[in-house]
Amino acid sequence: MNRDHLHQEAGASAPALTAEAVTVRYGDVTALGEVSARFEPGRIHAVLGQNGAGKTTFARVAAGLVQPAEGSIAVFGQALAGGNVAEARGAGVELVHQSFALPPSFTVAEVLQFVGPRPGLFTRQGIERYWQAWLDGLGLGLDAGARIRDLPIEMQQSAEIARAMVSDARLLILDEPTAVLSPEGTERLFTRVRELRGKGVTVMLVLHKIREVLAIADTVTVLRGGRLVAGPLEARDLTAESLAELIIGETAARLDAADRAALVGAGAQQHDEHSRPDTPPALVLRAVSTSPHSGGKGLNDVNLSIRGGEIVGIAGVEGNGQRELVAAIAGLDPLTSGEISLADKRMDKAPLAARRDAGLRVIPFERNVEGLSLSSPLWENWSAAQLVGGALLAPVSPRALRQSAEKAFRAWDVRFSDAGQPAGSLSGGNAQKVILSREMDSGAKLILAAQPTRGLDIGATMAVWKALREARNDGAGILLVSSDLDELFDICDRIVVMVSGQAVAEFTAPWDIQAVGRAMTAAGRQSAQEARS
Amino acid sequence: MTGRLFPVIQTGAFIVLALVLCSLIFAAVGLSATGTLAAIIDGAFFRPNALNHILRWGLPLLITAVGVVISFRAGYFNIGAQGQFYLGAICAAFAAEWLRGSPAFVAVPACLLAGMAGGALWALWPALLRVKAGADEVITTMMGNFIAAQLLVHVTSGPLKDPSGSGQQASSRPVDAAWRISESSGSSPVIIILAGLVVMLGWWLVNRTSFGILSGLAGRNPVMVTWQGAKVQRIAVSAFVLSGALAGLAGSVELLGPNGRLASGFLPDHGFTAILIALVAGMSIVAAGFIALFFGALTSSGLWLPIMTGLPSAAIDIIHASIALFITAKAGALRALLTWFRR
Amino acid sequence: MEDLIVAFLRSGTPLVYVALAGVIAQRAGIWHLGLEGMMITGACATIVGIVLAQSVVVGLVAGALFCCLLAVLFWFVVEVLKANQIIAGLGLTGLGLGGTALALTAIFGSEAAVSAPFGLPRIGPAFGAFGGLSVLVAAMPFVILACWLLLCRTRFGLRLAACGEHPFAARATGVNPAKMRLVALLLGGPLCALGGAELAAGSLQIFSVNMTAGRGFMSFAAVIFGAGHPVGATLAAFFFALVGALGIRAQLAYGDRIPSSLLLALPYVATVIGLWISARIRGGNAVSSRELGQQ
Repeated sequence: MNRDHLHQEAGASAPALTAEAVTVRYGDVTALGEVSARFEPGRIHAVLGQNGAGKTTFARVAAGLVQPAEGSIAVFGQALAGGNVAEARGAGVELVHQSFALPPSFTVAEVLQFVGPRPGLFTRQGIERYWQAWLDGLGLGLDAGARIRDLPIEMQQSAEIARAMVSDARLLILDEPTAVLSPEGTERLFTRVRELRGKGVTVMLVLHKIREVLAIADTVTVLRGGRLVAGPLEARDLTAESLAELIIGETAARLDAADRAALVGAGAQQHDEHSRPDTPPALVLRAVSTSPHSGGKGLNDVNLSIRGGEIVGIAGVEGNGQRELVAAIAGLDPLTSGEISLADKRMDKAPLAARRDAGLRVIPFERNVEGLSLSSPLWENWSAAQLVGGALLAPVSPRALRQSAEKAFRAWDVRFSDAGQPAGSLSGGNAQKVILSREMDSGAKLILAAQPTRGLDIGATMAVWKALREARNDGAGILLVSSDLDELFDICDRIVVMVSGQAVAEFTAPWDIQAVGRAMTAAGRQSAQEARS
Repeated sequence: MTGRLFPVIQTGAFIVLALVLCSLIFAAVGLSATGTLAAIIDGAFFRPNALNHILRWGLPLLITAVGVVISFRAGYFNIGAQGQFYLGAICAAFAAEWLRGSPAFVAVPACLLAGMAGGALWALWPALLRVKAGADEVITTMMGNFIAAQLLVHVTSGPLKDPSGSGQQASSRPVDAAWRISESSGSSPVIIILAGLVVMLGWWLVNRTSFGILSGLAGRNPVMVTWQGAKVQRIAVSAFVLSGALAGLAGSVELLGPNGRLASGFLPDHGFTAILIALVAGMSIVAAGFIALFFGALTSSGLWLPIMTGLPSAAIDIIHASIALFITAKAGALRALLTWFRR
Repeated sequence: MEDLIVAFLRSGTPLVYVALAGVIAQRAGIWHLGLEGMMITGACATIVGIVLAQSVVVGLVAGALFCCLLAVLFWFVVEVLKANQIIAGLGLTGLGLGGTALALTAIFGSEAAVSAPFGLPRIGPAFGAFGGLSVLVAAMPFVILACWLLLCRTRFGLRLAACGEHPFAARATGVNPAKMRLVALLLGGPLCALGGAELAAGSLQIFSVNMTAGRGFMSFAAVIFGAGHPVGATLAAFFFALVGALGIRAQLAYGDRIPSSLLLALPYVATVIGLWISARIRGGNAVSSRELGQQ
């Protein structure tokens, strides 16, 4: 390639983003190592990679949230000092965060006012009118007066995009925008992204599904383990197979084809056929309802039965009752009506300790909040399950508990140096294995696995899938909640779709992603309209 | 080993920082910083009979501090040790009044138990408000302190008033001399044994029972313990009540021991000092044993300062307050500070 | 009746000023338990300023400066050193209570109460029975209005609230929560000083050790009761003051039957009840972490 020619072109229209040997370290961990890349303006760039590949860190460096230890960043030819959001925003970079950066009690108008360029006194009606007009111009279909916490997740994302567009962003970065969307919501987002490109905005999408990348991106950049593997490559030259190689790397050979496709979201929806035994149900929910509370509608007349030896997936856009379902089965959310039976025993009002005795195990949604006490020693985290059933004054032997914990950790291949180290010092994958070692003992009859692989790298994800399959083969019933349809398709025997606290549809293999996606959004759009009106 | 040593070094570093702040304040009001600190240390450790004074002030503080450790470890900021201490003393005084004439081996345990019950009750209502309604315990226990102080004024000038008393402070009738568990100016084997028992039981509870481990987890992350199926509310109320009972025990020890009677507004800094002891000890019961003696020495020095050197006793309050200001700071934050300034 | 209203305004005004300081801090994400210490510092500085310089202005300015100094110290400890806000707040309060006692001994030779020859200007006889109230009482509605406008009707207020509610949202838009909290605490400093000044020089013209007697904490409770809203906190503060004023009234009327010390405890009881009610209404969190190691 003629370098001079390239240089001239860059002078005419500078790259939207240039990274030169960008390195970011968190303590001893190198999150990004010497990443250099340049992204042309006016196009849609995908940054692709597994969890822990450094995608989010790269996006945050570009947006000025993270100061690189070495290297430099330039936006539209303007060099940035780095680590300064105001500077990056001034240069035209805006970042839409994966877990949205919006104060829940604010109205949409307040959010826009707070990031916007209009100082001085305002009135509530004044800003609502002003920003409603602006929003309508953007065609986002948002109500300026709605509170963030009342909006469905897709609308929250729209609000976050609107927030980013307030300052006329020229480079819009979206961090894992599809992780919280249904397939249809993803389609709508992509349409919007193409419209933005049409208006001259450069868009960078951080993604981890090949299917989505091939559907939207002009160029693809792949990161692995904090290093740049390749890119930006022209998307039209790429195939799903070649991308999967780039994402997974040399471990690829060891993976089973279906698992591999599920990991990278390449679209293969095979299913390892598993003969369903005719075992008695491990869990039966009959017409279960719970009361609505802050942030959720509650369950509405849910019927569900899980046999021992099967994995039942719960699909749905986040915030449609999955958390309420898990909390209700765990006995942490009281039922307003209906019945719950665990292993043929009625447990409508039983506390969680009694349900645990009956064989219930929980891998909760929030690993670092509900699953582990990060500042407590590992062995205490592990011991909690042993202690909750007994009397408060029961004498315990810390040494014995510590030894059993260490034994369990070794059996689950947890990498730890000392059972007394705080749980927060482990990586996400190791932390999840600590939870598995606590929850997946031989007494488990029904395992609630809520987003068990979220944020985990390939190795840890595979370990979780293997553990779930083994538990199923040992006769436990498993309820798997996941927002990743590829994951559900890969390991579930049945999939139930939840919308607005109701179980609206049930699917079995062979899977039809379109049908599942439709079930997820059909009523979802309804609730979005309710929120608007 | 460095893992264990680090918190000690961090605590030491921030206490030095606190003393620097004290010195600045002393200098600002025209006191010689080094002279004042030297006088305080001299009064704490090198005056005649210093050990007796240290034990006299340190042991009741230790009893309360063990209770504070139990509630703070469970994640509940029971700031109400002072009020629970007063209620313990008040209930013990009422018990002493009703048992007038009975032998010491009945009356003394009964008074101590009454004190524990009083302290426990004064911790129970904030605990219930916390777990049943969600009312923040910091403010409720703080208000409990002020209410208890008014109750103390009330009983010492009303139901238990000493008719022969003529001092500025209202006070109750003295307890029977036969029931006193120590001299007015000192400690005694009974108090030493009581404090020792409290430390041993406290240590056992925290380190060798289900309650200890679960409350420690709940204090750091109550959500996680809930998801494990523990009865967090029961743990919370138990921790509150235990800490109140121990503060109440300290109150009854003060009544039957060195004080010998109730006086309105006596030992107004007891609860706050006990909280400091728990914090400086890093929530370790054994460490609290040593730290309590140190703070006992400071307290006794505070009483000695104005008499012997003319220095104001508020100097001790300043030291206490500065330590409170810095004791929970994090060493790692200093590094963050440097990066912040580089911006 | 007029007496009651005067007593009510007198006891309520200091609480309101200090509660507004607490509201600003609360919005920025700081639990300000140092209010008591800042309030007594303001009270002490005002009286000492009047006695030494014969000038109310000097007293008020000195109070504001000292409170700002304490605010910076508090900010440094909780924001930079990441100390626990509750414990550090109690430490700040101890520093204020001990420091004022120390200052009295340094200046006047003892901890005895100091009385000033005159106090804050009064609004004057034109207002009849209310003429004895200080100008700070009269200024209060404007201060409340200013706080409300600042917090609820400006971009600055929204940014402050974002720092408290979702610091990452603030950071993500280039707002530095640490700096905003410093600003919030510095705004609260003079308000605490005015609250202390009204308490000491509004009607009594006297300063004595520990004279705030928990009013700073009560103001903080008003912040919680009032849901961190300037108007809500004001109403809560007045509720506590009303209970206090009624207690004093009852003392005069039934002093022979109800022990006065129990009536003096009424405002504290009212505070507890207020917290209880607000927790019930808002469904307070039964379990929340207070770990000393938490960020």
